[in-house]
Amino acid sequence: MTLPAAKSIAICVSAVVVTLGVGAMLFVWSGAYNVAASEQHFAVTHWLLDFVKRRSVETQSLLISAPPLDDPDLVRLGGAHYHGGCAPCHGGPGDPRNPVVQQMYPEPADLPIAAPSWTPGQLFWIAKNGLKFTGMPAWVAQNRDDEVWAVVAFLRALPKMSDAEYRRLAIGEAEAPRSGMLELAALGSRAEILSRCHRCHETESSPSANRLVPKLVGQSQAYLEMSLRNYANGLRSSGIMQPIAAELDEANLVEAAKHYAQHRSVGKMASAPLMSEKIERGRRIATAGVPEKGIPPCLACHAGKSAATFPKLEGQHAAYIVGQLRLWRRGLRDRTVQGAIMAAIAPRLTDEQIEDLAAYFESVATMQVPTEAPPPPPPAPPRAPVRRR
Amino acid sequence: MTRRTTWANRMGTVVAALFLEACRGVQSALAPQGIDAERVAGLFWVMTIGAALILILVMFVTALALFGPESWRRWLSRDGIIVAGGIVFPVTTLTALLGYGFVLTSIGDSRPGGESIKIAVVGERWWWRVIYRDSAGRRIESANELRIPVGRPVEIELTSADVIHSFWAPKLAGKLDMIPGRKNVLTLMAKEAGVSRGQCAEYCGGAHALMAFYVVALPQPEFERWLAHEAEPASAPPTPQALAGMTLFAASGCGACHAIRGTPAAGAIGPDLTHVGGRLSLAAATLPNDEAAFARWIKDNQHIKPGNLMPPYGIFSDSELAAVSNYLASLR
Ligand code: HEC
Ligand code: HEC
Ligand code: HEC
Ligand code: HEC
Ligand SMILES: [Cu+2]
Repeated sequence: MTLPAAKSIAICVSAVVVTLGVGAMLFVWSGAYNVAASEQHFAVTHWLLDFVKRRSVETQSLLISAPPLDDPDLVRLGGAHYHGGCAPCHGGPGDPRNPVVQQMYPEPADLPIAAPSWTPGQLFWIAKNGLKFTGMPAWVAQNRDDEVWAVVAFLRALPKMSDAEYRRLAIGEAEAPRSGMLELAALGSRAEILSRCHRCHETESSPSANRLVPKLVGQSQAYLEMSLRNYANGLRSSGIMQPIAAELDEANLVEAAKHYAQHRSVGKMASAPLMSEKIERGRRIATAGVPEKGIPPCLACHAGKSAATFPKLEGQHAAYIVGQLRLWRRGLRDRTVQGAIMAAIAPRLTDEQIEDLAAYFESVATMQVPTEAPPPPPPAPPRAPVRRR
Repeated sequence: MTRRTTWANRMGTVVAALFLEACRGVQSALAPQGIDAERVAGLFWVMTIGAALILILVMFVTALALFGPESWRRWLSRDGIIVAGGIVFPVTTLTALLGYGFVLTSIGDSRPGGESIKIAVVGERWWWRVIYRDSAGRRIESANELRIPVGRPVEIELTSADVIHSFWAPKLAGKLDMIPGRKNVLTLMAKEAGVSRGQCAEYCGGAHALMAFYVVALPQPEFERWLAHEAEPASAPPTPQALAGMTLFAASGCGACHAIRGTPAAGAIGPDLTHVGGRLSLAAATLPNDEAAFARWIKDNQHIKPGNLMPPYGIFSDSELAAVSNYLASLR
């Protein structure tokens, strides 16, 4: 090939490229492309977008490894959140999508059918990060991967789920429909708000069944209000509770806190205290601390006459206690002045001590209504143990 | 040129000021107030002045050897002079100094003043636990301040609760390490009443630089009165505000870490606060001891002494903080 020939080819190619570029710009500028959601994509555009989505999710989620997801409580918590946070768009078994949502484009997927086409790691990635240009939102609390996994656990169980089972998981209604209804009726105007809470938290007639959802009974109104405010303004991060608390207006927030503060304890709160070595070890730390490791006795703050904004731990679910202490160790609950106190203490605990303490607190079944009987006097803080000196 | 001289002048002034300040200061080994520190100071001066004299002599001889008159130079190069100056002189001086050092360190045990008293000091991150025993053998715990009687030997038993610290009260004695699992004993004796300062002299982690203490030497009768008072439980809150402070102290879990004898607070992690208001400083000589300082410490301790082991307490309103501070300051 002679030089002049090569040169003229190069000129030709550049001319074509420039014309195409300018043409594309003109096309965009003209507004001829229709962004209407009422109009379907061309088949090729649709294919291309879908391909981009799938490849992107597959590549981005390559390094994610899933924790065990079979825990029924994890599935149940995921389900309850799904009902409030995902079903409004995606619908669920026996819970068809709203016609408005059906007019979104792309339309939110029918997840019982779509979910199995993704691996758990991919579902996790989508639920955590959302999808650009689709209306699929990212997870509210980006640092709470533990919560996102609950939703993934639920999505995995979803395809095989009957309508009734979905309702039981998501709304928690199946177990005690009658008394739940009666209680709601008695609540009058608060009923609608509290029915939201009852999806996860205990009602007066049914104990809190999910180990991952904190029991609220026995906590002071001050602590409950404070916690709800901290969720609402984002100082305490939880992708599950933040949206719920943010939706409460001031009056409803106070009402909800008051309702739970006056809750009567429900039947037997925890299984009869079975003494085990683990529980005994936890009891020793809770009452005497481990001074040489700088671990104070928990009960000095978490019992009896402590400040109203300090939560009670007796009877609380062990799994919840472990989860929260891990949050502090990861530096995720220290943005409030109360949280800053625990943030100094929790990192001093070993994994084993955390498990022991949680087992101990769960075994103490004394989360009682303050109005019924005065709380037991605080255990006299122990005499200073003799230290190595 | 003028620039450089003014700069040099300024540096000179600064150095001189530092030096003078150190001499006058409450933490100077050059202004001893105890027998042991006097010996240390004596040794320092003998060494320094002796070394200076020898240096001058050597420089003078060197100058002579280089630039002196021919006859002097010849005299200096004689074998006898070399043997005398290079072998005999160093051997005698160093031997004498060594003997002096041995004498100094060995007279520690035979000191006047009668029976010694024992005080245990435990190095903690980053403060000092101080434990007295009264004549009845009762254990009396305090912190961050050492009170000793004048004219009596004091045996300080040094241990550590965590890492290696070093106890150094320069006006009273030399330094001695506090080693985990070991007990080192430092004996000292104050010659006159007065306050001096000491500090941790071995890097022990984050807040090491803010780990200091005061030593208060008191005449014997006053010391005894003070110790008897220190053994007492805390006084009852004198005002309604202090009473409110006491309630808040209990409700906020301060007793998880601090003991106030005579109240349910019996924590063992932080300093004993039974008579905290009567001390000279707060948080190991980091802050003065007044109500404002208590308030600052409670709320902001992680900024004042970063990394220290007390949680910051931002939970109090201004009036609550004032009440807690008022209560603590009343614990004299
Ligand atoms: C505001 C409405 C909306 C909400 C709320 C919402 N999504 Fe979506 N979601 C969408 C849309 C729109 C898509 C995109 C569908 C597409 O690209 O085909 C989508 C896609 C997905 C996909 C990928 C489905 C696929 O096969 O392409 C998953 C998985 C998913 N959402 C899970 C969730 C979960 C879990 C929640 C709740 C935490 C949730 N979504 C909340 C609108 C929503
Ligand atoms: C989808 C399930 C769900 C629903 C619905 C729900 N919660 Fe929660 N709630 C949780 C979970 C999970 C946590 C723990 C969150 C965390 O890790 O911080 C929690 C925490 C809380 C806490 C803090 C408890 C503590 O001990 O610190 C309060 C208070 C609370 N919820 C109140 C409510 C109220 C009031 C409602 C109704 C308006 C409600 N919740 C609805 C799941 C739920
Ligand atoms: C000096 C006081 C203090 C001590 C001692 C203390 N805590 Fe706490 N703890 C708090 C405060 C204050 C909160 C509330 C934090 C917040 O709301 O963010 C809290 C919250 C908690 C929570 C979360 C409860 C909930 O419902 O969300 C757990 C779990 C907890 N502490 C465990 C412990 C354990 C275990 C110990 C003993 C090793 C302990 N705490 C010792 C002050 C203390
Ligand atoms: C988790 C244990 C812990 C808790 C809870 C705690 N402190 Fe402390 N506190 C400490 C430690 C450790 C120090 C020593 C800090 C230092 O100097 O390095 C200290 C130091 C102090 C001092 C200075 C004492 C001195 O001798 O100079 C005061 C005053 C004090 N704390 C008051 C309080 C008050 C008031 C509360 C409750 C509102 C409280 N502390 C709660 C651990 C604690
Ligand atoms: Cu130290």
